[in-house]
Amino acid sequence: MMVAADIILRLTLLMLLAPLLPGIINKVKAWVAGRRGPPVLQLYFDLGRLWRKGVVLSTAVSPAHVLGPAIAWIAVIAAAMLLPVGPAGASLSFRGDALLFVYLLGLARFCIALAAMDTGSAFEGMGVAREVSYAVLAETALITALLTLCVQTGSVSLATMLAPSAGAGAALLGGGLFGVLLAENCRVPFDDPSTHLELTMIHEVMVLDHSGPPLAAILHGSSLKLLLFAVLLTETVLPLGRLSVMEAIAALLISVMVIAVLIGLVESLLARLALRRVPLLLTTSFLLCLFALLVAWKGGTWAGQ
Amino acid sequence: MTPGWLLLIAGLGLVAGIFSAFKSPRLWLVLTVSGAIASFAAATGMLASGVTWDWRPDFVIGGETLHLRLDGISAFFLILLSALGGAGTLYSSEYWDDKNHPASAPPGRAWWNALLLNMGFVLLCANGLHFLIAWEIFTICAYFLISLERSRPAARAAGWLYLAASHVAMILLFAFFALLAARTGSWEIGPLREHPELAPLFWLALIGFGIKGGIFPLHIWLPSAHANAPSHVSAILSGVAIKMGIYGLVRFTGWLPVPDAAGWVVATLGVVSAVLGVAFALGQHDLKRLLAYHSVENIGIILIGLGFAMIAATHGNPLWGRLALAGALLHVWNHGLFKALLFLGSGSVLHATGTREMSRLGGLWRAMPWTASLFALGAAAIAGLPPLNGFVSEWLVYLGLFDALSEHGAASLAAIPAAVALGMTGALALACFVKVCGVVFLGLPRSKIAEHVHECGWQMRLPMLGLGTACVAIGLVPILFWPALVTATAAWQPGPPGAHPLPSAPLVTLGAFHLALAALVTLAAVALWRRVQQNGVRRAETWDCGYAAPTPRMQYTAGSFAGIITGWFAWILRPKQHSHLPVDIFPARSDFTEHTPETVLETVVEPTGSLVMSISMAARKLQHGRLQTYIFYLLLGLLALAILAVMGGSQ
Repeated sequence: MMVAADIILRLTLLMLLAPLLPGIINKVKAWVAGRRGPPVLQLYFDLGRLWRKGVVLSTAVSPAHVLGPAIAWIAVIAAAMLLPVGPAGASLSFRGDALLFVYLLGLARFCIALAAMDTGSAFEGMGVAREVSYAVLAETALITALLTLCVQTGSVSLATMLAPSAGAGAALLGGGLFGVLLAENCRVPFDDPSTHLELTMIHEVMVLDHSGPPLAAILHGSSLKLLLFAVLLTETVLPLGRLSVMEAIAALLISVMVIAVLIGLVESLLARLALRRVPLLLTTSFLLCLFALLVAWKGGTWAGQ
Repeated sequence: MTPGWLLLIAGLGLVAGIFSAFKSPRLWLVLTVSGAIASFAAATGMLASGVTWDWRPDFVIGGETLHLRLDGISAFFLILLSALGGAGTLYSSEYWDDKNHPASAPPGRAWWNALLLNMGFVLLCANGLHFLIAWEIFTICAYFLISLERSRPAARAAGWLYLAASHVAMILLFAFFALLAARTGSWEIGPLREHPELAPLFWLALIGFGIKGGIFPLHIWLPSAHANAPSHVSAILSGVAIKMGIYGLVRFTGWLPVPDAAGWVVATLGVVSAVLGVAFALGQHDLKRLLAYHSVENIGIILIGLGFAMIAATHGNPLWGRLALAGALLHVWNHGLFKALLFLGSGSVLHATGTREMSRLGGLWRAMPWTASLFALGAAAIAGLPPLNGFVSEWLVYLGLFDALSEHGAASLAAIPAAVALGMTGALALACFVKVCGVVFLGLPRSKIAEHVHECGWQMRLPMLGLGTACVAIGLVPILFWPALVTATAAWQPGPPGAHPLPSAPLVTLGAFHLALAALVTLAAVALWRRVQQNGVRRAETWDCGYAAPTPRMQYTAGSFAGIITGWFAWILRPKQHSHLPVDIFPARSDFTEHTPETVLETVVEPTGSLVMSISMAARKLQHGRLQTYIFYLLLGLLALAILAVMGGSQ
């Protein structure tokens, strides 16, 4: 019973907090550009409105167009269950859950991609092709990051892997994972979430034909995914497992805010990359993770020894 | 009933099926399916009880006494053979029926039974000579099944290529078993780990079984054979026949000593097969050819697990080795199940549309909801997505690799590239199956043939449904299948009981997580669906940037979809492009085609073959049937001998 209550409490908190991040990012972007910008809570209003709105379905679509977002949303929430919060650990933790985390995000990608292919639109096909292709490199980098943490701690469970920081290679790993975070969450310089040109988009173009509640599920899912990556990044860099629970939560909150501000600054200061350069940047992220792995390998000491 | 009786029933059912194949398809169906059920029961009983069945009658074939044995490993593979054999039998009774294929259906049924029977014998034989005989017969049966549609040149060519490649493998296996028999003094095969002088024989086995298994770069026969065979044959070839190569490797790496480098080589071949297999798959436009390349990929995943088990065995048997082996073996099952499902699904598409060309399909879900949803299930399973079976086996292999890594020993450095390659393969397979499902089943029909299609009948649907259920079951309750893995891994390198236990993996937790995930997904899907209905649905054209008259031909194509990734792998894929780009202000006809050939076949095997041919043709000039020249050769020879005798005559 306690476990169930714990899971529900944590998931509710994560799901409630997630839509805050895009709000903060947009506020930062607005400040840098000298605008007032939309309210921080804008995404909450959007989600509420979308949930009540009617749906326009393309004449081409199958039921997968609605089922895809539902499955993807649950997959991201399930991944959230596996992510630990500092010394409090994860609500569910077992050996090998780190890989389940990666593959759950894969499941979400698969469903969103199929829901987009469903419309038969060339633009959406293009976006899906880019999304799944670049995800190959992002996932490779993510697996390398997990290998680093495994070398560091000798464990394959996220709660143990993330309790200490990544140690000597933390900076490298942080850099690499920040790149993966930007790519997986379709931020500049990989993708531009606010563009209005279908030809150049990756993620946003996949959801062009979604509307109403399914779109709300997609938007909420992607904000949750951003939060998950921010938490993952924080815990690889900061040794949250060594703090007390309250300290760890405070540090986590602050760090997630800092990451959101950082993303906002990156979006304001950098231009979007040409599509053919995207793989190069992702390969750089992979190499950073690989170097972190080598550092961890050479460092060769277990946590706690 | 004891395994012996059940296997006898199975054998009798299959043999009787051969005789009834020509006269009564219905009787054939009943006999063959009951045979498959009997052998399934025998294998399940063996795996559940863990008792090896050994039978040595006084029955001599080819000068050797018959010796059959059903142990953990053979039972493990026999289950797969029975399940896919039964499913394929039922499927073919509608897919390749007498009405549409009056000439080829009856012999097809007979060859099918002979194939199943001999693959079963390969798994049971404990005598090298009988193993070879059964192996050769099953190879030949497969040839006749591949070229069942003999009127098509492509099917004939695929059959020849398969036959040639299989016989190269056969020569190596002859050498392997003959040398083994010569060195041990008996054709009996069994655990011989205490004879280190047998280790070099491993290389013969690796290439011989590797050609059958479709390891990159020995896979040259595989794509065309799988693509051109009837779909139920493709399913059994991909699901079971190539697993016979894996069976051989698993069997003889467990029974015989191997060189120190063997594990590393197998793991390296696994990594290469996995990544390049899926890369080649992405470049294909032919649905079944694409699936065939995915077999190469999955064989690679299996070999990664087997390779690490072998590395562990030569490094003092740490626990992770057995975990990797368990993952590899479970992936043998899983790949058999979802690949057969996908091939049967592609068969339904082929049956309905008459084409394997993906660019001409599209929107098939409307007319074929069963096929489409089962194919999508298989696609999610082969991409290794939770909560399905593909994830469970890949996860076990991963666990083995990560444990090897944290041991910080010699094997750890190899675990890094293997795990990275495994991750990359998963993401590439996902990309490939988004492409397949999206292009074939979703969107709008791209051509006339995709518009007028029909769903397949229940005889084709039922096997697919069964295979899909098995995929879901292994994913949701993996712990049910764990005892089978324990028995099989214990039989790999037989030792004192409990010497090398299979370490436990948290499969109960994973299964519970998968169940919860499935339940939540269902709940969320229903909730979202109802919400959508409540809020009201309006139908509109797909948004096309405001373009007023979009046509189905403007949908994204399979080639463009894969373009980014095939671009990364262009160094090995060597895509051939033909294009006429638009020129001038009023461009005339312009077109663009791209085609990914079988690079190893076209750049290595064929040039080598033509080199051998040209040397042979040149040598032929020496012998042209003119008597004078032969007398001249004789004189030359005598002269050479005389010189030799005079010069070296002092001794």
